[in-house]
Amino acid sequence: MTRADSLHIAGADRRTKTSRRGGRTFVQVLGRILTYVLVAAGAVATATPFVWLILSSFKSLQEVVLFPPTFFPKKPVFSNFREVFSMIPFGRYYLNSIITSVIPTVATVLTSSMTGMGFAKYRFAGRSLLFWIILSTMMVPFPATIVPLYVMVSRAGLVNTYAGLIVVGLSSAFGIFMMRQFIMSIPDELLDAARIDGASEFRIFLQVVMPLTKPAVATLTLFTFTSHWGAYIWPLIVVNSDRLRTLPLAIPYFSGQYFSFQNLINAASLMSIAPVLVLFMFTQRYFVQGIALTGLKS
Amino acid sequence: MNPGSSAVVAVRRRPFTWHRLQKLVAPYVFISPGVIFYLMVTIIPMIWGFWISFHKWSIIWPAHPWVGLANYRALLTEDLFWTSLRNTAVYTAGVVPVEVALALMVALLLNTKLRGRGIFRLLYYLPVVTPLSISAVIWQWIYHPHVGLLNWLMRVLRLPTHDWLQEIGTAMLAVVIVGIWSGVGYRMVIFLAALQGIPQTYYEAAMIDGASGFALFRHITLPLLKPATLFVLVTSVMSSFQVFSLVNVLTQGGPLDATNVVVYYIYKRAFGDLQFGLAAAASFVLFAIILVITAIQWKLVGREVSYE
Repeated sequence: MTRADSLHIAGADRRTKTSRRGGRTFVQVLGRILTYVLVAAGAVATATPFVWLILSSFKSLQEVVLFPPTFFPKKPVFSNFREVFSMIPFGRYYLNSIITSVIPTVATVLTSSMTGMGFAKYRFAGRSLLFWIILSTMMVPFPATIVPLYVMVSRAGLVNTYAGLIVVGLSSAFGIFMMRQFIMSIPDELLDAARIDGASEFRIFLQVVMPLTKPAVATLTLFTFTSHWGAYIWPLIVVNSDRLRTLPLAIPYFSGQYFSFQNLINAASLMSIAPVLVLFMFTQRYFVQGIALTGLKS
Repeated sequence: MNPGSSAVVAVRRRPFTWHRLQKLVAPYVFISPGVIFYLMVTIIPMIWGFWISFHKWSIIWPAHPWVGLANYRALLTEDLFWTSLRNTAVYTAGVVPVEVALALMVALLLNTKLRGRGIFRLLYYLPVVTPLSISAVIWQWIYHPHVGLLNWLMRVLRLPTHDWLQEIGTAMLAVVIVGIWSGVGYRMVIFLAALQGIPQTYYEAAMIDGASGFALFRHITLPLLKPATLFVLVTSVMSSFQVFSLVNVLTQGGPLDATNVVVYYIYKRAFGDLQFGLAAAASFVLFAIILVITAIQWKLVGREVSYE
């Protein structure tokens, strides 16, 4: 079955089958149109802020504060994107965001895959206890641990450092759980065959298991990167120098400082969300598949 | 003893090879980085936070005297804390039902043979990947009293305009709307994944028995969506109780604490007033509330969940 086939649900197939037999009835056509209208209306409501953001980041300062607002820029300008860099250390913020998102994402995908492999494919003392502990702490809300975490990080001397920003994101319960679920579905025979051929356990992990976990790794990468790219409360607490501000901190700060330069704020916002949008477009085909294979079966 | 049995023993007692050793050690090598990091940023802070909540604790004083339950007592007699709890409940009650209903509806619609389904899914998911604080900045401008899109729309429709984020009557609603906008996409994908996991054969079998249309939805789709619904409900409530960045950017808890939510209260107590003990106690109250609500949802929805 191809992916496209698997995406069709009963309702749709049933409807087409009936319509092939007897031609489309008025009610079916009406239902079809209604579906499109509803889906499109929702999509418009969802997308409007983005469209507004994109269009406005090409407007001049004079145009952006006009009331009633213009929808399409009368005379598109591209200078906003350049001006952001001279107004604030935008490049620095960008670099900070990249550092504090890429390192935790790589670390999380690595630690989650390894830990998932350990829990899924081996029997060892304390396995179920440890796994149960990790699962049950998924319930712990992160904001509920910020106070002790801050005390710990400050005692370690990591306040106002990259290390302090990164250290809380090196591993994730969700990732461990997800990778375990996925790796469990890989047949043991495959691993045993590699063992008979003399492969070491680590090599089995790298060359047998990892290549099969692509959809899960793609989904986890997207989730983790997105959450670190958008991380707000932890950087807000652990960083107070402008030098270390990440984009989610810098944009609201910028917007508070220069509220009237809405064209620049929009250009900066647009540039800030671009990486996650691009990453999402590249990984989205694994996405529903990845979620379907994990999460829900607990 | 016959020679045969000793041969069996000899076979069983294989030499302790490199291969067997590494298979014994491998699981621990695999799990330790993940588990150690995880314990360090979750379990240890939790235990330590519990400890802190029984002390008068500030990051600037060297001494942390034990005060027993005084922090908890102070919280429960403080009006602002109750206000923040009530606001959090209002936010949750505003976001969760709408978000879950919209997500389910969109998922059902997108799960039909629709042209451009991929594009629609992408559009609905965009707000989820956008950093919340940046979403808040985008919306701040939409809510702007003079040049905002919303007031322009209200004028076109000849409805009263508002300073949405500054008026007590509208501030919470404004935050709730952004919360819904940024949360629907994620819940929708969960529902979509669950819908696609329902075997086609169930529908075919039911159709042979003469079921159709609404009956199929009512007796097959809905019951089989229960695990997903439970998951979506639980995660939606949990994230609503933790709302912070939207509030911190859009309203700073104002006007007059009308949008002061629990996490904002914790943040202000800890990093504004440096009352770490009190903030840690508030964190545990929040944690306890989330635990209880999740348990209730589990009982109500989860009872009949295990089909497979």
